[in-house]
Amino acid sequence: MKKYLYIIKTQIIKSMTYEFNVYGNIVMQTIIMITSSYFWKALYRNQNSAAGVNAEDMLTYIIMSSVLSVLLITNVERRIEQSVGKGTVATDMMKPVNLFGVYFAEDIGSILALVFQNMLPILLIGSLLIKVPVMKDSGDLPLFLLSVLLSFLINWLIAALFGMIAFTAVNISALIQVKKHLIRLLSGSIIPIWFFPESVSKVLSALPFIYIYQLPLSIYIGRGSRAEHLAQLQIQFVWLLILAGVFVAVQRQVTRKVMVQGG
Amino acid sequence: MIDVNHLSKDYLLKKKAPGLKGALKGLIHPQFEVIHAVRDLSFHIDEGEIVGFIGPNGAGKSTTIKMMSGILTPTEGSVRINGENITEHRKTVVRNIGVVFGQRSQLNWDLRLGETFELLKHIYEIDPIDYENTLEVMDGILGIRELIDKPVRQMSLGQRVKGDLTASMLHSPSVLFLDEPTIGLDVSSKFALRRFIKEINQIRKTTVILTTHDLGDIKELCERLIIINHGVMMEDGKLSQIVDRIAPYKTLVAEYYDEQAPEHEKCEMTFHEGNIAKYRFMKKDITAAELIADLSRQKEIKDVSIEEAGIDDIIKIAYGSGSIL
Ligand SMILES: Nc1ncnc2c1ncn2[C@@H]1O[C@H](COP(=O)(O)OP(=O)(O)OP(=O)(O)O)[C@@H](O)[C@H]1O
Ligand SMILES: [Mg+2]
Repeated sequence: MKKYLYIIKTQIIKSMTYEFNVYGNIVMQTIIMITSSYFWKALYRNQNSAAGVNAEDMLTYIIMSSVLSVLLITNVERRIEQSVGKGTVATDMMKPVNLFGVYFAEDIGSILALVFQNMLPILLIGSLLIKVPVMKDSGDLPLFLLSVLLSFLINWLIAALFGMIAFTAVNISALIQVKKHLIRLLSGSIIPIWFFPESVSKVLSALPFIYIYQLPLSIYIGRGSRAEHLAQLQIQFVWLLILAGVFVAVQRQVTRKVMVQGG
Repeated sequence: MIDVNHLSKDYLLKKKAPGLKGALKGLIHPQFEVIHAVRDLSFHIDEGEIVGFIGPNGAGKSTTIKMMSGILTPTEGSVRINGENITEHRKTVVRNIGVVFGQRSQLNWDLRLGETFELLKHIYEIDPIDYENTLEVMDGILGIRELIDKPVRQMSLGQRVKGDLTASMLHSPSVLFLDEPTIGLDVSSKFALRRFIKEINQIRKTTVILTTHDLGDIKELCERLIIINHGVMMEDGKLSQIVDRIAPYKTLVAEYYDEQAPEHEKCEMTFHEGNIAKYRFMKKDITAAELIADLSRQKEIKDVSIEEAGIDDIIKIAYGSGSIL
């Protein structure tokens, strides 16, 4: 465990010193927040509430969506792609640490650095330009934090599974981008799926993605009852278990392939 | 120390047919080609040895090194290090092993060298005193301390190799595998590397197994050579023994006063140009002194020298078809 804490620490130092591309995301999230705030304001001009949510709540939703997106930045896909490309996976696997544990710790480290470099600035900009995104019912805070934690893990596992495609010798750089935007779209991060046609929303409900953004954000803005939230948290947890199971199986397969085929 | 028993490795290679049609066909009905990279290698290495693995490109050297260091699972056979099977006890055996690949650095591109070392110190749970000791020793041999604050991505190849060597020694492995460590290095870096190998072998009794295409490395370092070709062991022994066995001849170079050069029935003239002639003779057939005496009886000799068969010759013979390293 101490090893992984040290990896997190090293990653924080590394992110603080070498990574300069943090402002790009602030600009990008600011643009997303502002354009969607105009979009929602226009939509709500003639009505107070839609699908049980009012305009104010929707603005909170989009700001928190951008804030949450920082926690959901993963680098594991690119890490896998690079180490497969450079051929260092096999030797990395020899070290007395779990390779994916290392990638996980690195992503945690990067995100901790981003909390200051990215998340707080985005929260500040959203608060100044749009509104202060206060939580509807602070009694829901524990549930919200729990669902964010599960959302983080689900998102990371999907990313790691995605990265493992790199082991089949496909160039995944372009796919990584597609996946990133697809998740934002399918997870209700920009438009909650309760605004989608029922058939589409049904399909999306059956997928894990809405548990990445929409569930924690719904809890935050207080859409739905606590009983509903608890039920959804259970489904979220089941998704986590399913993805973890798939991850372990695929990881075992991939490790064996590297050991037999030489990476 | 290291026991290699009937070690073999087959690679399955997906055959790729050309064109879109071929690609589709490959998806549905993948055709595999088996490459026998290493076939039935057996040998034993004692503690403190420096063993050179040589052979032409594609001979199976890297594959063997990877299996011996636990990176690759053998198709057949086993590798035991200190009695423990490396496939079965990978996690524990691997702590006792260091590996450096000349062509691919294992250093973290985004960190300073010292940060990479610190990270390894934690990953291998190295005692701080041992860690400092190793750095001290490495500084003495490679001058590593002046590189410690340098970001790895800004380092030259030679500096990175030094970094990789130090990184591989931090957890004080008793066996060090080096796959073409001198590739791309300039003369002075090569010397530093050879000094490194000799010193860790002397100071720490580290067993070193290296592959190289550099004859200088072999002459300087390896008491023992293992020559493989097409995945098969060709020779195993001391350089001088191998020379005696597969190239038990010397070459007499004689310079005459004109272009006429006499023949001798107990040797073969391998070269004759201008006033120079070369005679290859077996040590058992005739001595150099006798040959010179016989030749000078037929024709006056101006100058002579004797060439021992060396590593170049045994490599030509062992690799077959005169392929150069
Ligand atoms: N991962 C792999 N998949 C399929 N075939 C491989 C793989 N790695 C090596 N080979 C094949 O196995 C054979 C032995 O390769 P190896 O890399 O062990 O040779 P080598 O002796 O190290 O050569 P070199 O001197 O060029 O480094 C070669 O024919 C090579 O093409
Ligand atoms: Mg090789």
